[in-house]
Amino acid sequence: MIFNIQRFSTHDGDGIRTLIFYKGCPLRCQWCSNPESHSFGYSIMYDQTLCKRFGDCTLAEPAAFELNDGKGVDIRRREVNQPLNLKDVCASKALVLTGDDLSVDDLMTEIEKDVPFYKDDGGVTLSGGEPLSQDQDLILLLKRLKERKISTSMETSLHVSWARIERCIGMVGTFLVDLKHTDKEKFRHYILGDAGLVMRNLEKLAYFGAKVVVRIPVIPGFNHSLPEIQQMVDKVSTISGIEEIHFLPYHTFGVEKYKMLGMEYEFGTDKQVHESELELYVQYAQSRGFRTKIGG
Amino acid sequence: MITKEMTKEVTERIARLREKVLSAKPGVCTERARFYTEVYRENEDQPVIIKRALALKMTLEKMTIFIDEGELIVGNQSSAHRAAPIFPEYAVDWLPEEMDELDQRPGDAFYITEEHKKELSEIAAWWKGKVLWDRGRALMSQELRDLQDSAIIKATGNLSSGDAHIAVDFYKILEVGISGYFKEIELHHKQVDRSKMEGIRKDKFYTALAMGLESFQSFIRRYRDMAVYLSKETNDPEREKELQKIADNCGVIAEQPPQDFYQALQLVYFVQLILQIESNGHSVSLGRLDQYLYPFYKKDLLAGLISEDFASELLESTWIKLLSVNKIRPWSHTRFSAGGPLYQNVTIGGQTTDGKDAVNELSFLVLESVGNMKLTQPNLSVRFHKGISEEFMMACMKVIEKGFGMPSFNNDEVVIPELINLGVEAEDAYNYSAIGCIEIAVPGKWGYRCTGMSFLNLMRVFLATLHDGYDSQSGHTFLKGMGKFSDFKTYEDLFKAWQHQIRYYTRKTVEIDTAVDTALEEQVPDILCSTFVDSCIARGKTIKEGGSKYDFVSGLQVGIANLGNSLAAIKKLVFEEKRISKEELLEALENNFEGKEGEKIRQLLLNFAPKYGNDDDYVDLLLKDAYMEFIEELKNYRTTRHGRGPIGCRYYAGTSSISANVPSGAVVPATPDGRKAFTPVAEGSSPSSGTDLLGPTAVFKSVSKLPTEEIMGGVLLNQKLSPATIAKDGDKQKLVSIIRTFFAELKGWNVQYNIVSRETLLAAQKDPEKYRDLVVRIAGYSAFFTTLSPDTQDDIIARTEHTL
Repeated sequence: MIFNIQRFSTHDGDGIRTLIFYKGCPLRCQWCSNPESHSFGYSIMYDQTLCKRFGDCTLAEPAAFELNDGKGVDIRRREVNQPLNLKDVCASKALVLTGDDLSVDDLMTEIEKDVPFYKDDGGVTLSGGEPLSQDQDLILLLKRLKERKISTSMETSLHVSWARIERCIGMVGTFLVDLKHTDKEKFRHYILGDAGLVMRNLEKLAYFGAKVVVRIPVIPGFNHSLPEIQQMVDKVSTISGIEEIHFLPYHTFGVEKYKMLGMEYEFGTDKQVHESELELYVQYAQSRGFRTKIGG
Repeated sequence: MITKEMTKEVTERIARLREKVLSAKPGVCTERARFYTEVYRENEDQPVIIKRALALKMTLEKMTIFIDEGELIVGNQSSAHRAAPIFPEYAVDWLPEEMDELDQRPGDAFYITEEHKKELSEIAAWWKGKVLWDRGRALMSQELRDLQDSAIIKATGNLSSGDAHIAVDFYKILEVGISGYFKEIELHHKQVDRSKMEGIRKDKFYTALAMGLESFQSFIRRYRDMAVYLSKETNDPEREKELQKIADNCGVIAEQPPQDFYQALQLVYFVQLILQIESNGHSVSLGRLDQYLYPFYKKDLLAGLISEDFASELLESTWIKLLSVNKIRPWSHTRFSAGGPLYQNVTIGGQTTDGKDAVNELSFLVLESVGNMKLTQPNLSVRFHKGISEEFMMACMKVIEKGFGMPSFNNDEVVIPELINLGVEAEDAYNYSAIGCIEIAVPGKWGYRCTGMSFLNLMRVFLATLHDGYDSQSGHTFLKGMGKFSDFKTYEDLFKAWQHQIRYYTRKTVEIDTAVDTALEEQVPDILCSTFVDSCIARGKTIKEGGSKYDFVSGLQVGIANLGNSLAAIKKLVFEEKRISKEELLEALENNFEGKEGEKIRQLLLNFAPKYGNDDDYVDLLLKDAYMEFIEELKNYRTTRHGRGPIGCRYYAGTSSISANVPSGAVVPATPDGRKAFTPVAEGSSPSSGTDLLGPTAVFKSVSKLPTEEIMGGVLLNQKLSPATIAKDGDKQKLVSIIRTFFAELKGWNVQYNIVSRETLLAAQKDPEKYRDLVVRIAGYSAFFTTLSPDTQDDIIARTEHTL
């Protein structure tokens, strides 16, 4: 399932790219800027600022929606009987059913539209969610892209079984591996995941000769300190074949979406990380022989 | 090739001159009006062309002239900076009517003294019934006058201000000098056969031309004398030398071809200036300045006579002088040209006649100097072609980043082949330049008004289509329709009804053009402008009589995106999905989407129908089909010059609709694209505000699906980017990369950029004093933001800002 296709993306991979965002993720990073990507099924997003109280949602799913006294509707998401009943019911798009079951053909149609702009270095980036958690369609799409000679990148946390990664080797041009932390405790506490799994997969992936760029999201209160970043860079430097590290500064562009999904944004800070704060990290990574970039 | 960073500081002199012109309050100058009135009054027996020659002579010999402290390029259009001369022979009624409110205008205010008001009232009284405006209206049938009054077709600008939109032959002017033209005129004058009616007319024509050139010479000599005088007055030895050089320059170019770059530039400016004293039209353009001045620059550079810095200073001086030129228009026309633009275009880049990259060192200097000035004049255009260097494109990006909307890009890859296809000789086609905004012509060989004769309000026509031809705003049924919308069974029925209406209105735009052209030809023939356009001298004809080598014009169609979006919304939601009934739609439109049900319909129209600008064939192709009806019909007509000499004499489509989208929208009720009544329609060929949701590549794709090769009046695309998106070199390279695809592969026609943040615009609205020099891009030109009316300001703020 896809929750967004973003054309003319210039920050996730080289050149001009079309980003395909897959829905569904095994991790729960507290700072995640795409909370609608967590679930593998439909998500119901509601933006009260657009709500005109037409009431069509209350007709489609009476148990779940009720016009309130204020400016919008009250939602009981658990009471939604059949999410598809909500598809396109809201004229003002205050209520949107996020998630589209697009076929590989559908995706190729969208991708083809920007092919003239890709030139030598652009192409398609598969993102998410976690694209590697997707089923067979992902592989079919990768095959089609390869046949079509469109360059591919994949944004992944590698927090999946090795088998899921292995089937993609040779099909993905560049793996953009999101390395959040190497500290097992922190990884478990903040992300509900296993740092060891990620590192093992990263080592194997590099060993198999895949082109890998490591991307470190710099998150205040989680890994935004020189010792922690040094530790991560050092670990990566023990893996041969990885030459490039990107630092992605924490931002809060996704906070509004939590509200729309009826979720709490539990991550404490709303203080964005400025690029200038990453200067020392960049210098350190460069001193360890890595090419670096700030932002994607 | 020059690779230096474009961060050069401007000199103290330039900063001072720039500030002086910027801070000059727009006013009016009555001198020209006084002289023209006197001559017309005392020479009523003379043919109009002689009257005009005499009036020009008196003006150029008597008008106030001045040389400001520190000026290097001299010449003024009127008695003060930014004081607009008055052209009473075009239209005057509006002046006494609007005079007392000129300083109260919501945008483009003028400040005028009581004394001037008195004089202008007297002048206006004499001209009553004698002017171009009156003649133009008199030549129209009642139907055409009603159509004009209905605002479905607008051609008031041409009747109140003349047409212009022209660039003269600067190559020739620089080569032969003013004196060179005398010889040519004399040669032809001698051969005139006065036993024929045509001979009598030609005799007067050549007499007028020679008189015009003499007056031009006198004007230049006056500056020579003034510079000599001032050089003796000054105590500053540096300034004395400068003034001597100015005197020397004027002395030379009054008599013979320029000898160096400085003189050449001074002459070019004088020509540019004088055309705007002679005629009231705007978009008098400078053509390919980096090409015709390059030999002079290169020669001086090699001889060590000029430094790059001084050349820059001269160019910057010229740009400031161009800003000092001003124009006052009636309010009805002002709203279509918000920000008081003169649209004096300079075109750089492109190809040489053998298809090689024409970018030279001077192209970089022009680009850089315009970037340094950040003014609204000149309007800078860059001709893109496949072989243009990455270096030059990056230099353009650095100027675009400054956020004042320049340069705008035209595309050789579409224009040149299509010009050749239309019958333009290859050598001429390769030498085209932008005129005014984005429209194009071959400088010095093309007639007036390569675009912009009349504005056609497409959405008014579309609404009439839904109402059996009835136009609710004027109460007229100009053409009985093919039934009401509620009678249409299928989308095809609707389309047929559109076809029926649009073909009628297309013809009417030509009828109005013909009346206006006839009036222009009879009432306000230009002398100097005709002198400098090939082949007027040889044919013994003014441009309007068919003197030019080529003649192609376009009108302007306003509301392109709204048309496509309306068709798509109706086809999908009414005919296919039946989500909205015909009756519901009509009722919602009539009530301007009032009430909850109306608003729901509007939301459905906005959110559940495809929108132009998102690379969706569904809507993009409906738009193309609907627009093609206009384009095909237009091919049936010829201009008033047909059969009188020029190649072409045809019409083509155009969308370079300047700020017309705001006043055009202000007379259109609610439309089926979800647009509310009387709000702006979409600008040029750009998507409707806030509807292009997929970024710039999708917009490029949609725009390129229009029949761009048929829209030679310009396919205007204005994109707004937030400043952060092109701050880094990598981002600039990516923007260059998509522009290359848009032009080289998708055959896009034009793109121009607004790189000002929403925050800045909002701040400028609140505190205009602080943002006096904030320049923004409107359709096809740049304007000072704070001089715009609040409506136009809001429209600019509303346009979608793409982020990368």
